[in-house]
Amino acid sequence: MSSNLLSIAASGAAAAEIALDVTGQNIANAATQGYVKRGVNDVEVASASSWSTANDVSLSGVTVSGITRNADTFLQTEARNTASNTAQANSTVSGLTDVETAVEDSGVFSAIGTFQNSLTTLAQNPTDSSARTSVLQDGATMTGAFRIAAQSLSSTQAGLQGEVSNGVSQINTLSSQLATINIQLSATAGGASANSNVTSSDRASLTDQRDSLLDQISQLGNVATTINTDGSVNVNLGGVSGPPLVTGGATNTLANTVNADGTESLSVGNAAVNLSGGTLAGNQAALTTLGQVSGNLDSLASSIATTVNAQQANGADLNGNAGAALFSGTTAATLTMATTNPDAIATAASGSAAGSSDTTNLTALTSAIGTLDPAGTMNTILTGISGAVQSATTTQTTLQTLSSAAAASLSSEAGVNLNTEAVNLVQFQQAFEASGKVMQTCSDIFTAIYNLTNT
Amino acid sequence: MTTISSTSTSTFYTSSAEQLSSLQAQVDQVDNAISTGSQFTSASQDPEAAAQMRMLQLQDTEASTDTASANAATANLQLADSTMTSMINDINQARQLTTQAASGTLTDTQRAAIGTQISQIQSDLMSLANTRDANGNALFGGGVSGDAYTLDAGGNATYVGAATAPSLPIGGGQSVQTSLTGPEVLNMTDASGNQTNLITTLGSLATALQTGGSAAQSAASTALTSLSNGLDTVTTAQTVIGSRESWITLNTRNQTAASTARATEESSIGGTDVSTAAIKMQELTTALQASQSCFVRLSSLSLFNDIGN
Repeated sequence: MSSNLLSIAASGAAAAEIALDVTGQNIANAATQGYVKRGVNDVEVASASSWSTANDVSLSGVTVSGITRNADTFLQTEARNTASNTAQANSTVSGLTDVETAVEDSGVFSAIGTFQNSLTTLAQNPTDSSARTSVLQDGATMTGAFRIAAQSLSSTQAGLQGEVSNGVSQINTLSSQLATINIQLSATAGGASANSNVTSSDRASLTDQRDSLLDQISQLGNVATTINTDGSVNVNLGGVSGPPLVTGGATNTLANTVNADGTESLSVGNAAVNLSGGTLAGNQAALTTLGQVSGNLDSLASSIATTVNAQQANGADLNGNAGAALFSGTTAATLTMATTNPDAIATAASGSAAGSSDTTNLTALTSAIGTLDPAGTMNTILTGISGAVQSATTTQTTLQTLSSAAAASLSSEAGVNLNTEAVNLVQFQQAFEASGKVMQTCSDIFTAIYNLTNT
Repeated sequence: MTTISSTSTSTFYTSSAEQLSSLQAQVDQVDNAISTGSQFTSASQDPEAAAQMRMLQLQDTEASTDTASANAATANLQLADSTMTSMINDINQARQLTTQAASGTLTDTQRAAIGTQISQIQSDLMSLANTRDANGNALFGGGVSGDAYTLDAGGNATYVGAATAPSLPIGGGQSVQTSLTGPEVLNMTDASGNQTNLITTLGSLATALQTGGSAAQSAASTALTSLSNGLDTVTTAQTVIGSRESWITLNTRNQTAASTARATEESSIGGTDVSTAAIKMQELTTALQASQSCFVRLSSLSLFNDIGN
């Protein structure tokens, strides 16, 4: 009987010690990213009766059946998905802001206004060579501004495409790491069941790593996950109907293709991937907008060149010759001045003599540009971009609120609270001391009986 | 900005950091608005306002060109005005001389002397008709470079300028002709009903007076009527110029009013309301200070401080 009590006390002390270890581990990992609070799963040990009747007293102490890793799968999925959406919104906003900056800072809008103004000013003195030169210079400034916008857009495009390539190779690295974790989880599975929170310490940290890898992948692209009975996870990229990225220990490679219009397509094998979350989706959205803006700028540049050149052809220049083209090029990147000779501006009506101060064609040119309204078109383009940035920012704010709420509720359930751990520390320390006291009692009883038999 | 009653330690730090940096960002934004005087730093903060601001600023630039055009037009019109005043003085002097020449008491020698004076007046009028504008072009020649009139050996003046006077846009969709052409000022009907111009009329008068004889006196009498017609034409033309000047003044006044309205609109769309912003700043800094001291107090609360000893 007394030996039985001693073994019960020993099992209690051992369980309390393990619980103290786990508490220490929790405190140590209070700030570790992706660490899920551990607990100790104690179970009572019952054994065959050592007393008179079968099963009347069957006390054999306590044992640690496993480590509790208390992560709610629903909360984890929720936190992961909202974080994925936020990552998408963040990268959309940053990509679109780059586009906005590229077009706004190029000064195309004000350069168009200045060019129109210098044409109006030329009407004050159409034969004045300095007024003519300033028209050409303002034209050159305008074509320069278009080129700067086109160059900034193309370097923004290259940057976004680089981010997509980087993201794709990161996903591939992460998915091969996940496959390795999956193999280890399958190997250590034993009799573990998928939904059981009770597991071994090794498997608990493997599961932490698995979840952390899933979080990292979903930051790049949204995923749908299936947890298998052995704790390994299957991942479909782009949602439930997307192609499989990781199946147990096997991975498929994600590839990206640059399309003719500069946008990016993703595929796993032959299957196209349509992402609705993650930074890659944001980059893709920004690239699409960039393509539209760049197309709009090109057609604006081309329409200015066409309108001015057509009107030039209807008039006579300062030397009495038929007006030649002022601009060459059909895109924002290629728009340049076709001449540096200030006499080439055809201000006079067709057939006018050299040196004519007639402004018939200049007036027609000013009015043709007024009808084309390039400043208005540019204003619409700029408003379109800044509107897109604004609405993406609003979405971003909403999603950030959602994802920080989801992260907070996950963390409040799965994260370490130092005050709780302090209470646990005191509790388990007392349990350990109490078990020691039981051992002491057992020893005292044994000594008392021993002394009885000796006398 | 999430409130969770029972939370993990790391969530407490994460959400405190989020709250403090969000307040700090708002303070920075208001500070920026006050120091730059403009409500927005990028167009995406309010795309509509940014679009309006761009167009208003474009109109401001256009308006400054229009003002320059209006000033140039006014300068030309004033030059034309004063040139015409000189023309009228010349014509009046010619009329006075012609009246003397028409009197029967004068000798041929005296008439010839008057003829010489008329001839001088004619060349003076010729040079006035060929006055250059600010750009060095013919003021009454429709803007052509060079002369508006040429004079042949017989004293006949021929108009060689453009058919219409140049016109300039002066804002608000309006444009104004900056001068008149020579024919509009100097063409007239002589006493016999023929179309001629003042310079030619004076030329033939001078020739007739210098030739002498009875024809000289009758030429002088006829010329009085012609000169009177010519004076009417020039006076009428001067009235036209005067009305254009006042039209420009009126239009400029409208443009100035529009420009003031634009400035008001720009400041109400894009400018910072300093008093509102200052109060907002006070509110935010109070909240920020309170949050900071809350964070310091809460983070110093730990059970570990109280257990063990």
